[in-house]
Amino acid sequence: MKPVRSSFFHLSLFVFSLPILFLLFYPLGRLVAAPTFSELLGAILEPEVQASLLRSLVTALSASLISVTFGTPLAYILARRNFRGKEAVEGLIDLPIMIPHPVIGIAILGLSARDTVAGKLLQWLGIQIMGTYTGIVTVLTFVGLPFFINSAKAGFESVPASLEKVSMSLGAGPWDTFFRVTLPLAWRNIVLGMVMCTARAISEFGAVIVVAYHPMLAPVLIYERFTAYGLKYSQPVAVWLILISVMLFTAMRFLARSRERV
Amino acid sequence: MLRIKDLFIKLQGFCLKNINLDIYEGDFFSILGPTGSGKSLLLEAIIGHLPDNAICSSGRIFWKKKELTSLPPHKRGMGIVYQDLGLFPHMTVENNIRFGLRYHTLEGADTERRFNMLVDTLGLGGILHRYPERISGGERQRVALARVLILSPRVVLLDEPLSSLDPPSQDEAKRLLKRLHSELGVTFVLVSHNFEEVMYLSERGAVMHKGMVVQKGLIRHIFNRPSSSFVANFVGARNVFAVTYDSGKIMMGRLSIETENHSACCKIPNRISIRPEKIIALDCQDNRTASENRFSGRVCNIWKRNFHLHVEIEAEGVMFHALWPEHVSDLIHLEKGAKVHFGFSKKDVNAFREE
Repeated sequence: MKPVRSSFFHLSLFVFSLPILFLLFYPLGRLVAAPTFSELLGAILEPEVQASLLRSLVTALSASLISVTFGTPLAYILARRNFRGKEAVEGLIDLPIMIPHPVIGIAILGLSARDTVAGKLLQWLGIQIMGTYTGIVTVLTFVGLPFFINSAKAGFESVPASLEKVSMSLGAGPWDTFFRVTLPLAWRNIVLGMVMCTARAISEFGAVIVVAYHPMLAPVLIYERFTAYGLKYSQPVAVWLILISVMLFTAMRFLARSRERV
Repeated sequence: MLRIKDLFIKLQGFCLKNINLDIYEGDFFSILGPTGSGKSLLLEAIIGHLPDNAICSSGRIFWKKKELTSLPPHKRGMGIVYQDLGLFPHMTVENNIRFGLRYHTLEGADTERRFNMLVDTLGLGGILHRYPERISGGERQRVALARVLILSPRVVLLDEPLSSLDPPSQDEAKRLLKRLHSELGVTFVLVSHNFEEVMYLSERGAVMHKGMVVQKGLIRHIFNRPSSSFVANFVGARNVFAVTYDSGKIMMGRLSIETENHSACCKIPNRISIRPEKIIALDCQDNRTASENRFSGRVCNIWKRNFHLHVEIEAEGVMFHALWPEHVSDLIHLEKGAKVHFGFSKKDVNAFREE
């Protein structure tokens, strides 16, 4: 009797999963299938579309690299150390996931307000937020960082602390232990964190539009074409954004998998 | 000699108290104790790898006359093999073994000679290019040992390294440790809760309980002459009784117990312990064996334990535990309620005083 019950169980799971799969694939499938080949070709040959797609990619990858550089140490500290206020720091890191994204844009713009210390410092350094790449990358880092830190932290937590102890008992210092033992073992989660962070950054619209309508990122261009010319003109750009994102993430996941030992 | 002097360490409500140990060079010293007695914490203190929240309020560690207390772990000339072995899963066996070499100044030729010697001795030649997850438990353990021994440590600390192995691999590992100890002449410090393992490997050791060393000395002596009820029970001397001492005689209820020179340990004992295998069945076992203490009693329970029978005998209100070979049941009438004659030699009675 057991196999019958088991197959009923699995069938039930499958039936309940169907609406979710439909919700995910149907709209995207329709969107990708909507434009003709000539419409897609025409869109990608437009300099404005090429520039916005490239801008989206470069700014999202920049945000991801900044997250890796500055987020990795924080993720390691959160995975390995207990300190007063740790929960508050973890809550703060998750905050960008919870708050509406235009609010993030407004908060980042607030940095450059002239009557604040940060604003005066930025002005003194000649850094502008509004309508600049700096502003866009700041916003994208802000929204993508939680995804990177949480994934990297899970990676570091999965490395037994005893391996670090062993490494140090064999003579390695903390830096060598980190680079020879901890990082190679947490590598996969770090790459996955980069994928998540890049994905979040490349799809960001709400915060970006507050900080920088121009230079125009692909999601802003899609929005502009939709409001100005309608669905038909925005679809080809949206499809290219989806295709490029899928290729990028597939490559990154492949890289993460190839780093795993067989 | 590795000397641990007046060591006090606090860790989250637990405390290592007043640890004083002298471990001789070339010794195979064992630290025994039940789970939670502080054995592993002591080992971490010796190598200098205490947990972040541990507070070492006092204590000094010396090797010969050099103080090691403030030295970092890798400058203490010690190696440690943890319970989980801690092999690096992303490195081959060879890279695991060579991991520590770049941090130690060893002559190149010496390093290669030592590497080859260890690979041969430990039988690792065929698995050097494999990853730890692709080798057996026994092989993993040998890799962990090689990784430590290649650095020519003065002392090797072993934190229950046999506990994760199956019984045949445990036997093999015990023989290997014994051989390595005699061939390399390194000082080994083993932490274990397994008395059989310790009896096989060590000459000397210490028993820990609630963060304190409660008895130290020759393992054979600890085994036969435990100095407290805790140690007696821990080493398997199941018969631990409260006794009274009157006019040179030890009385246990109405039973008078003959002992041998108990004044060597304490003048007025109030406890005795007798190992269960020292209690013999008088009707079948060699009666010429000097059994100055002879009693009759009724069998209350019998359990099979490996190839022995664990027999509970009640005599004059006292419950004795005896461990007899299985064939005894063929020679005497042995069942629940049966009357049996049993005895033990006065030299097997360990008398001690406990407050």
